[in-house]
Parts: sequence; structure tokens; C-alpha cells
Amino acid sequence: MLVIDNLHASIEDEKQKTKLILRGINLHVKPGEVHAIMGPNGSGKSTLANILAGRPEYQINLGSVQFDRQDLLSMEPEERAAAGVFLAFQYPVEIPGVNNTYFLKAAVNSIRKQRNLPPLDAIDFLALVKAKIKEVGMDEKFLNRAVNEGFSGGEKKRNEILQMLMLEPRLAILDETDSGLDIDALQAVAKGVNSLRDPKRSIIVVTHYQRLLDYIVPDVVHVMVKGQIIKSGNKELALELEAKGYGWLESLQA
Amino acid sequence: MSDDVISDSHLKALLTDNPYLPQKKWLRELQNIHLTDFMQRGFPTRREEHWKYTDMSQLANENFGWAHKLEMTEPVRGQGIVMVFVNGFFYPALSDLSALPPHVILCPISQALEQHEELLKPFLQNGFDSNQYPFACLNTALMTDGFLLSVPDNVEVNTPIHCLFLNTQQQDFMIHPRNIIDMGANSYITIIEEYAAIGVEKYLTNAVTTFHAAQNAHISYHKIQAESKHAIHIANMFLMQDYNSVIKNVHLAIGSHLAREDVTVSLQAEGTESYLYGLYHLSENGQHVDNHLLVSHAYSRSKSVMLYKGILDKKSRAVFNGKAYVHKDVQHINAAQANHNILLSDTAEINSKPELEIYSDDVKCTHGATVGQLDKDALFYLRSRGIESEEALKLLTQAFATEVLNKIENPSLRNYISQRAGYHE
Repeated sequence: MLVIDNLHASIEDEKQKTKLILRGINLHVKPGEVHAIMGPNGSGKSTLANILAGRPEYQINLGSVQFDRQDLLSMEPEERAAAGVFLAFQYPVEIPGVNNTYFLKAAVNSIRKQRNLPPLDAIDFLALVKAKIKEVGMDEKFLNRAVNEGFSGGEKKRNEILQMLMLEPRLAILDETDSGLDIDALQAVAKGVNSLRDPKRSIIVVTHYQRLLDYIVPDVVHVMVKGQIIKSGNKELALELEAKGYGWLESLQA
Repeated sequence: MSDDVISDSHLKALLTDNPYLPQKKWLRELQNIHLTDFMQRGFPTRREEHWKYTDMSQLANENFGWAHKLEMTEPVRGQGIVMVFVNGFFYPALSDLSALPPHVILCPISQALEQHEELLKPFLQNGFDSNQYPFACLNTALMTDGFLLSVPDNVEVNTPIHCLFLNTQQQDFMIHPRNIIDMGANSYITIIEEYAAIGVEKYLTNAVTTFHAAQNAHISYHKIQAESKHAIHIANMFLMQDYNSVIKNVHLAIGSHLAREDVTVSLQAEGTESYLYGLYHLSENGQHVDNHLLVSHAYSRSKSVMLYKGILDKKSRAVFNGKAYVHKDVQHINAAQANHNILLSDTAEINSKPELEIYSDDVKCTHGATVGQLDKDALFYLRSRGIESEEALKLLTQAFATEVLNKIENPSLRNYISQRAGYHE
């Protein structure tokens, strides 16, 4: 489903200096698999997640990304969403003045349009959103608020999961969705993600901590350090990292 | 004597040939005085501080004349109680005054001159200083039809009143509408004054709207400036507020090639509230909109709020000058001014100047102006959810405008005005 080959990417800082962040990422995610990417701060995990979603600030220096045999990197962010890529943001942006329901409906129908499906009418849409909001344990009042405006950290993350459930992506990428969550919110998020697990769907979980992986059990765990994946293993690797920290692995890097 | 005026003899001939209003000796004298004043002053130039950013000298090269009355067969859709003027002429057949409560006068000035002459006279005779308000002065001289709204004491008109000035099908004409709103004590109205076009004709609108709000009167006023993209729109609004009266203005400007709008609030007693909200959304190359607001706090316990927001695309330009003047020896003054803009292109330009001039100690004033771009992170967020780039831009632009549109209390008017701005419901 997703094949990342030797991906190198950089960003320009405020002084217009180019900073290389990804230094040759190789990753192969098959349908139905859940991959966890762990690593210390600044290792490039979030950069990778954002590049997959199409954030324009990054430059691709080398390498390729294939999603369902399409060249993902040449697609606009909205085309990627229509193709089935979804990023749950680490820091969901507040958009004052844009109503959450309106936004959700615009997103669902825009994706349906790009897939040549008829738009959902108001009644079908409302029935769907009410069912999904219950799954993530959010109060319906958040539907009438502006997107993420004044939401607590946990509410923002639940709102991300709500969007994910509404859009039913084929590849969901969770960028530190667990950060700043209490145990109830964590469980609600995990429950939402697990409800999407399906042999045709893949999930990438980017996280610092092993805790989330107790709830969303990965098939493969990767450790990313300084822009490279330096070790991959099964879910036991996450436990090992939790016990030993990242230091012992950094010496492995070439 | 200015030598760059449209020619003086041309103006004099226009005064004599005015096809809009019945001949009245007192009015003709008044108009002659104002025309002479205006001709002596001439069109304002950019050397004058008040006209620094807006060049009106091009008007001197124009030869605008009077329009003629068109056959109108197409129905015109309005909100609530409707008065329709086409190219300056009143069209009773397109208007609908049936929901007007008893004792409320709403009629064209042409009719008021015959039927309510004594009521009208003092409003018209209140002249304008040609130096400060040259175009209001010109409006008096060349006055065309407009509306008179007179609401007696203690009457609330809950149906919105929609006065629509539609300009279409002719070239190089001008209208000088004069509108008068006279609100009795404890009265209430909701009104929209709208300038609209069907095509892209070139013409000039030079409107004057005067308000008088008696004590405890409450005016909810809305203006839509959606003139054709080749039109010139000039408007002067004069608001006179008596004891404890409240005026809420919401102003939308999307049209015209060149627009200049002045709002002047004068107080006659204490306890007034004046809210001036505005939104300008410019999307044509060369489009220029200038807003000048002045609230003169001459009495205590008065409050003024200015909030104007602008969205500027392509090579458009806007000017904002909002001023609160607080006189000596007045107390408990509250004045806030804000002007926020987003530029959607590298070539759009805004000249923003919120001003406070304060000669009293007992004031609470804030002012601020910002210029920015659309939030890139928000744009990416929307696109990452499948919303196409153009639609995402539109959503964010509309979100920026929402703060102003939300000031419109009447939901159906809010929808109407949002739609006129080209936004989603």
C-alpha cells in the first residue's frame, strides 16, 4: 500500500538555511498492517507524517513515495485525502469562523466528489456524524463550534479521530495523537482507531511512548533517529525501548 | 475658482434639467447656493489630507449626465418592505410598501416634496460645508430621488425596510440620491440601503443619507455597496444622535471601481451608542475603496465602536481612516477602533489609520490595525481533509469576514448580506 524508498527531505529555517531532516527513510506498509514509529524528539517522525499528508513547506531532495502504486509526492494534499490518506495532526489548528459541522460536511462531500460519488444530503450527513461523535465520546455541542477553537487538548484529538472516522481513510497516520491525553481520552482515541482496523486499511502510529501501543497494538515497530529508521521489530521492541530509552540504539546509526 | 471642474456650465445645465424632482423655488435656491459653493471649491485633490489616498480628479474629466427612465418588466427581489429605484428613478410597481405600519412615512423624496414638504424642508435646508463635505454639497445641488423614512415616537418597525438603488442599462449617467431617516423617540427600525448593478456600466453614484435618532431610538442600519465594476460610488452618511439612542451600522462593500464613503456621527446629548461595522472585499485589479469614519464625542457617557475588516485581492487598494474625537470636559467615554485586513495577493495594498484625538481624562479608548495573510496552517489543514484549494481559501476568507457579518442581528438579513458578499449561507 505504502512504499517509501530512500526519502530525503529538508526544510528552510527562518534564516533561509536548508536543514536536512529525513536522511533516507525506507518503509513498506502492507494493507491491514499497523506500524508504530517511535523515536526521540527531533528525529523527524512528525516531518515524515506531514510530508505524507503533503505539507508544502518541506522539500523532497531524494527518494520516492508510492501509495497504491501512485506517486504520492506529486499529488496535492486534497488529492491525497481523496486517495485515502489521513493525518491526525499533533497540533490541530484552530479555525475561528469555520463551523465544525460545515467543515466536516465540506470535507466528506469534497472527497466524495473527487471519488465521483454523489454528495451526502443534510439528513444522511447528520445521522452519520451523530453516530461517529458518539464513538469518540464527544459532546454534540462541539459540532456547532468553530473548528477546534477553544477546544482542550483532548477535545482537539477527539475531533481529529472524529474526522478520521467520517472520512474512512485507507491509510491513517496518527502524529503523536496520544500526547497530552488523559487515560479516558486515550482510550476513546484508541477505540476509534481500532474500529477502523480492517484488512484493507493501514495505520501508522507516530508516538514517543509505548503507552498508546497497549491500546493500539502494532504489527511492526520502527525506531527513528536523526532522520533514519535504525531498527525495526515487533511490538516487543516498543517495550524494550520503554525500559531502556533510546540511547542504546543511537550507537547503531551509521 | 477651480479650473478642473466638469465644466461649470455643464453642471448648471444639469441643475436646470434635473428630471427627478418637482420644481420648488426654495429648493432651487438652495441648490444654486450649493452648486456655486461646490464650483468655487472644486473637486478635492490629493493635496488635501482627507483625500490623500483617493484621487477624485478623474471626475473632472467625466461628462456624466442624467439617465432616462427605463421600462422595467423584470421583478426585483427585495427583503421585507421594499423601495426600488432604477437609475435614480423610483418604481412604485417594483416596490412593496404593504407591510408598512400605520403612521410610518416611507416614500420617495419626489413625492415627499409634494406631500410632506414641511417635514422635509428642515432636513434639506440643513446645508453642508463645501470644504469639508464637497460631495454632500454637490449632492444637494444635483439631488436626485431618494427615500424619506419618518417613524413616529414609540413605533417599532420590525419588518426590514429594503431600499434598493439598481443601476443598469445606461452609460455615463449619475445619480445623487438623498435619503432621510428620521426616528422618533423610542422607535426602532431595521433598514438596508443597497446599491446594485446588473451589468458593468460606468456611472456615478453620489449619495447622502442623513439619520436623526431621537432619544432612545434604535436604528439597525445595513448598507450594501455592490455597484458595477466600472462605477464610481461616493457616499456621505451623517448620523445625529439624541439622548440614549443606539445606532448599529453594518456596511458591506464589494463593488465599484472607485468608492469613497464617509460616515460622520454627531451627538446631541448623552448616553449614545454608535456601532460602525464594515467589511470590504475587493477582488478586481484597480479597485479602490476608501472609508472615512468620524465620531465626535461631544457629550458624556457616549460609546463608539468601529470594526472594519478588509479582504484584498489582486491589485486592489483600500483606505481606512477611523477617528474618534473626544471633546474637553466630557466624561465616561468609551471608544474602540479596529481595522483588520488580509491581503490575498502581493500587489494588494491597504492604508490604515485608526485615530484618537482626546481632550478629556475620563476616557477608555483602544485602537489597532492589522494586516496579514490567510493562515497557511489552516489552509493546509482544510486541504488535508480533502477540501479543494479554492474552496479552502473561500472558507477561510469567509471565516475572517464572519466577525463582521455576525453583527447583523436579523438572521434573514445576515443570510441575504452574506450571499451578496458571495459567501455560503
